[in-house]
Amino acid sequence: LCILQHGAVGQGQSTPATCSPLCRCDEDGGADCSGRGLTAVPSGLSAFTYYLDLSMNNITELPANVFRNLPYLEELRLAGNDLSYIHPEALSGLHQLKVLMLQNNQLRTVPSAALRNLQALQSLRLDANHITLVPDNSFEGLQQLRHLWLDDNNLTEVPIVPLRHQGNLQALTLALNRITRIPDSAFANLSSLVVLHLHNNRIQEMGKNCFAGLENLETLDLNFNNLKTFPEAIQSLPKLKELGFHSNNIAEIPEGAFHRNPLLRTIHLYDNPLSFVGITAFQNLSDLHSLILRGASMMKDFPSLTGTVNLESLTLTGTKIRSLPAELCDDLGLLRTLDLSYNEIEEVPSFQGCGRLQDISLQHNQIKQIERDTFQGLSALRVLDLSRNQIKFIHEDAFLSLSGLTNMDLSLNSLVSVPTAGLSSLNQLKLSGNLDMKNTLVAKSLPKLRSISVPYAYQCCAFTARDGPGSSAGEEDKSKATGEDEDMDRMPLVVHCSPSPGAFKPCDYLLGSWMI
Amino acid sequence: QHKQNVGVSTGCQSGCQTCSVYNGCLTCKPKLFIHLERDGMRQIGVCLASCPNGFYGMRSPDRNDCIKCGSECDTCFNKNFCLRCRAGSYLHKGKCQESCPEGLVPSDTKRECVP
Repeated sequence: LCILQHGAVGQGQSTPATCSPLCRCDEDGGADCSGRGLTAVPSGLSAFTYYLDLSMNNITELPANVFRNLPYLEELRLAGNDLSYIHPEALSGLHQLKVLMLQNNQLRTVPSAALRNLQALQSLRLDANHITLVPDNSFEGLQQLRHLWLDDNNLTEVPIVPLRHQGNLQALTLALNRITRIPDSAFANLSSLVVLHLHNNRIQEMGKNCFAGLENLETLDLNFNNLKTFPEAIQSLPKLKELGFHSNNIAEIPEGAFHRNPLLRTIHLYDNPLSFVGITAFQNLSDLHSLILRGASMMKDFPSLTGTVNLESLTLTGTKIRSLPAELCDDLGLLRTLDLSYNEIEEVPSFQGCGRLQDISLQHNQIKQIERDTFQGLSALRVLDLSRNQIKFIHEDAFLSLSGLTNMDLSLNSLVSVPTAGLSSLNQLKLSGNLDMKNTLVAKSLPKLRSISVPYAYQCCAFTARDGPGSSAGEEDKSKATGEDEDMDRMPLVVHCSPSPGAFKPCDYLLGSWMI
Repeated sequence: QHKQNVGVSTGCQSGCQTCSVYNGCLTCKPKLFIHLERDGMRQIGVCLASCPNGFYGMRSPDRNDCIKCGSECDTCFNKNFCLRCRAGSYLHKGKCQESCPEGLVPSDTKRECVP
């Protein structure tokens, strides 16, 4: 038994505040009665209890006036019971209640009568019940309501009328329900709403003005629905910062799609069967940091990014884009990763303005040559993937600036030779699949190389490949013993070269053909 | 003999669907949130109807997870919308700030910006 010493109210004597033997109470008026298999609200709690946790018990209903002795209660947790009925007078007297948690119960309708007089209520959790009906007067008395959870229920439509007078509501989730359409003005009076979650519903249809009135909305989550067209209704949301509509059935992003949402920071639109993206769709989004567009298979023109000046990561793959704008980097000075793989790009402009680039992926395109200035000034570049193109020629100074490059993949191109000037930090180089490249490579100019793949095994001989520190000593003794020429340009240790020379692929390149 | 009780739902804590001796709950009963508590090097799964302070519940059709709130936040609605700030910062429209916008004053008891 846990006794609290507390002055009685207005009686001048010290009467001990009590705590039910079924609970654990603290000195601040908190009572934890959770997870004790209770089937009813315990009696004998202190009148000064301000926090009561009854979650994870087996309470099936709340009778009238069950909390009448707890006038100072501010937070009541009843989550994880089997509540299916709440008497209209069950919560009477709780004039200071701010937080009411009824999630994970068996309620089929919002207990509107019981909620009526909770004028101080700010947070109401009704998620994870079986609510199919939200009576029109459900939230009538709740003038201070700010946060409402109705997710994971069986709602088939937006509770428009019940929400009509909730001008103070700031966060609402209707996710994981069965809502199929959002009619115009569905959230008309929710002028304070900042967050709206509608993910995991069945939304197919949205009125053009369905978000009218949400002038303060910052986060809108429409992920995992059945939208077939772009949600143009977002044009009513001037303060929108986070937008998600991934995992829908949207085929097109129209021109000027986000021109009324200049504050957007994140847009999640993956897992849509995109085929077309308007050129002007992503303009003037100065707060956007990352843009990921995959598989817009009909897209032919690179989108204009003027005004989208704070992009740090751009992924645009799987399109029919053949060329990139010469002024690509004019607006992308902060770009760090650029993935333009799996397009049909034939020519690449100079990336000089993108001075912070660390990672460029251009594999699987149709690039034919690399000019002197293509990568000029990119001293921060670490990874460059140009594999699976048709590159025949690379200017000898093309890599001069790339002092920080560590990984470069040029495999499966049509190269005859590869310049190495500037690649002082390179430790992985892939050249396999360049079948016209038959000359031996100069090992000396790649001092940090640790792994290389080459078209022909004999080209590995220049790198004196050694696998593992143990074996290297043996090699050196052997070379001393055979009196090999000390002046030979011996490459510092290369940990791995493939395909490595062997019995049937000796180091000597015999008569121009490898078959002999 | 240390018997690994993987995937067997008998003898689990309340709310668990499956559990293991070493890591507690592995999956939860429908609609409950799984929260990973740290016990030294071990992670112990517990199944809850509401996530502990500093975490919010993220529901999805196949699982429900407790996810960390933003740094300044005690309880939150989602990663970017706070319900109650930590001591020293004040809540305004879901954000925890060190000072309040014009027309509002910081309330230390409520940890909010109030009129």
